[in-house]
Amino acid sequence: MRFQSLGQYGLVLFALVYLAGVYFVSSPVWMGFTINALIVALAALSWNITGGFGGLSSFGHAALYGTGAYASAILQVKYGFNAWIGFGAGIAAGAAMGALIGGLAFRYGLKGSYFALVTLAFAEVLRICASSFEWTGGGSGLQLKLMPGIAQLQIVDRPWVYTGLLVVVAVVMLLTALIQKSRFGAYLIAIRENEDAAEALGINTYQIKVQAMAISGAFGGLAGVLYLQLWLFIDSTVVYGSAVSVEALIGPIIGGAGTVWGPLLGTLGLHLLGEGTKHLLPNSPGLNFVLYAVVLICALRFLPQGLVGFAARIGVLRKKDQDDA
Amino acid sequence: MKNTFNRRTLLQGSGALALGVSAPSVLRAQTPIVKVGVLEPLTGNLAYNGTQCAAGAKFAAETINAAGGIKSMGGAKIELVIVDAQSRPEVAASAVDTLVEANVCAFTGATASALGLASSQAAAKYNLAQVFSIGTAETVVSRGLPNVFRFTPGVNKCTSIALENLKLLNQGAGNVVKTAAIVHEDGPFGSNMAKILTEELPKQGIQIVETIPHPTPHRDFSNIALRVKASKADILIPSNYINEYTLMARALNQQRVELKAIYSILGGAASNIKFVRENNDVAQYVMDCNHWYDPTKAESKALAAKVAAAGLDLTYDVMVSYATIQVIADALERGASADRQKMIASLAASTFDKSIMPYGPTKFVNGDNTSAQPVNTQIRGDKIELVFPKQYASAEAVFPMPVKKN
Repeated sequence: MRFQSLGQYGLVLFALVYLAGVYFVSSPVWMGFTINALIVALAALSWNITGGFGGLSSFGHAALYGTGAYASAILQVKYGFNAWIGFGAGIAAGAAMGALIGGLAFRYGLKGSYFALVTLAFAEVLRICASSFEWTGGGSGLQLKLMPGIAQLQIVDRPWVYTGLLVVVAVVMLLTALIQKSRFGAYLIAIRENEDAAEALGINTYQIKVQAMAISGAFGGLAGVLYLQLWLFIDSTVVYGSAVSVEALIGPIIGGAGTVWGPLLGTLGLHLLGEGTKHLLPNSPGLNFVLYAVVLICALRFLPQGLVGFAARIGVLRKKDQDDA
Repeated sequence: MKNTFNRRTLLQGSGALALGVSAPSVLRAQTPIVKVGVLEPLTGNLAYNGTQCAAGAKFAAETINAAGGIKSMGGAKIELVIVDAQSRPEVAASAVDTLVEANVCAFTGATASALGLASSQAAAKYNLAQVFSIGTAETVVSRGLPNVFRFTPGVNKCTSIALENLKLLNQGAGNVVKTAAIVHEDGPFGSNMAKILTEELPKQGIQIVETIPHPTPHRDFSNIALRVKASKADILIPSNYINEYTLMARALNQQRVELKAIYSILGGAASNIKFVRENNDVAQYVMDCNHWYDPTKAESKALAAKVAAAGLDLTYDVMVSYATIQVIADALERGASADRQKMIASLAASTFDKSIMPYGPTKFVNGDNTSAQPVNTQIRGDKIELVFPKQYASAEAVFPMPVKKN
């Protein structure tokens, strides 16, 4: 996780100053909006494992996010389990769903756009199933009983929610950095660069890809569970909807896919842009999305390596190696 | 050239400047303001309904302000703080922070139950009252949150009244309807409605011969229309949103499906004037059981005129949002305070009976207005007429519908 340039130091410093600054802004709006951004950042970090490091671009990460949220909600609402058990089960369910999707898709050699479409199909099938069965709350979704307190993982005090999320994001980023530096991470990057060559070198590509999907699923499930514990309500569209999948992939693409900081920076940047344009055009709802889209297109056109890649060109300190930001 | 800028001039200038700067605040002090929030999905897939609701709230605030504002608060004018929920629950919940920061005394919203569930939960932390304009899911009022007030009826009440009214209509027509087909969207609203209908219709002696779910969005209704035709159902009960409802009605017409009635419950387009205007031939005699105002009231007529003048569609969203602002204004009037806790107490004690809706005196029991009721509407010509209950009716119900000449 070594930085290559002053630009990258500056970018990360900016993010850290912003995240710390939220504590000192009296307005509850900024903290509320940053809390939402951090949950999306977790989903983005989940996508980054497979899409960023492994080159396995998924269009259906909602399948992992939603499975985590639903597993936890079902255990709590239908069977009366404690939220902490639901928390663990949600992460495990996300990982299991990731392994299942990966296991099936990679068994049949799906890659590229075919893999993307299969993940999209899984998310959509799960959405329809969740809205059809009574077990999942059917169309009405599932609502957790309001029981404030750490025992049920329902924290009322906003700064504590924010702090908790910051810690979780930091832990996931640390795990991402460890994966990046590990042998497993090197295998995953090798698969992204040239899968045939990786296989020729003796890497069990199938196993590595399924493992990557399981890790990604665990992170995605974690994001879904935290969403549930925060808003206490989920339905099929909210957690399995295509908006979740899009948000999960767009942050890393803007921030820098295959980097540790990229998903967080991209997600924060996009949310700040969205919120900024909303304040800039307060009386024209919807116009903020137009401005948002224009900036997004420009970013994709002029920053193909994302914000982290762009910042790497400013004040270069060392040559690019695999330990980039 | 002599310099005339002396100490006296400076004092005079400063005085004038101070007066000039302070004048607006003096003027503002003469017209106190009380802020009311409007949390609606102004963008996203519920944007049409949310925008209509926001318009209804604006019309209500204008009317109340023109009538002298909140008199017990020195004629305070209602200032709306309108925020966008973006059709997403987490955004709706976050938007509550914006409302709190703007210092609203209460707020209305949020068109869909999923949005309202999230926003009211967030508002509970601030002791901020939410008066639901629309929030039909029963979970809205079953959570024991003291800040939740649902002015309009929930899905259980809408369905039971709709089925009771259908029974009366059918009995009045000599029980001509014996079989039914249900076409429903596969999301929260349609699935639940289909489930209730499957349990309740046989109790009325109406056999369900076909149940057809479809996703949202869905564009080709030809096969669905043919399945309804093949089922030879007497009545079709659709539960879907405006676009699908419109396309379904067109497909039924194209396939010449002969039905004795199309009877919706909280129908997506059946009580929407846009559907009537753009698909007039297809829309004739379609019935709905939905939220609707009392068209006989003078204020309802005035609202209809304002909506027409603004070039907007007169939909139930406009009506219910208008009414919820009336409820909030009444609570402010009685409580004479914009304090959040006092607003909750004032709303809980509401017996308001002057809203534009066909309800009796408001009575919130666990946040649910027990006097709220849906009504039956029917599309006739270029109008949506209220046909049931009789005391509010603007036209007689036509049931079964006349056979179409093809």
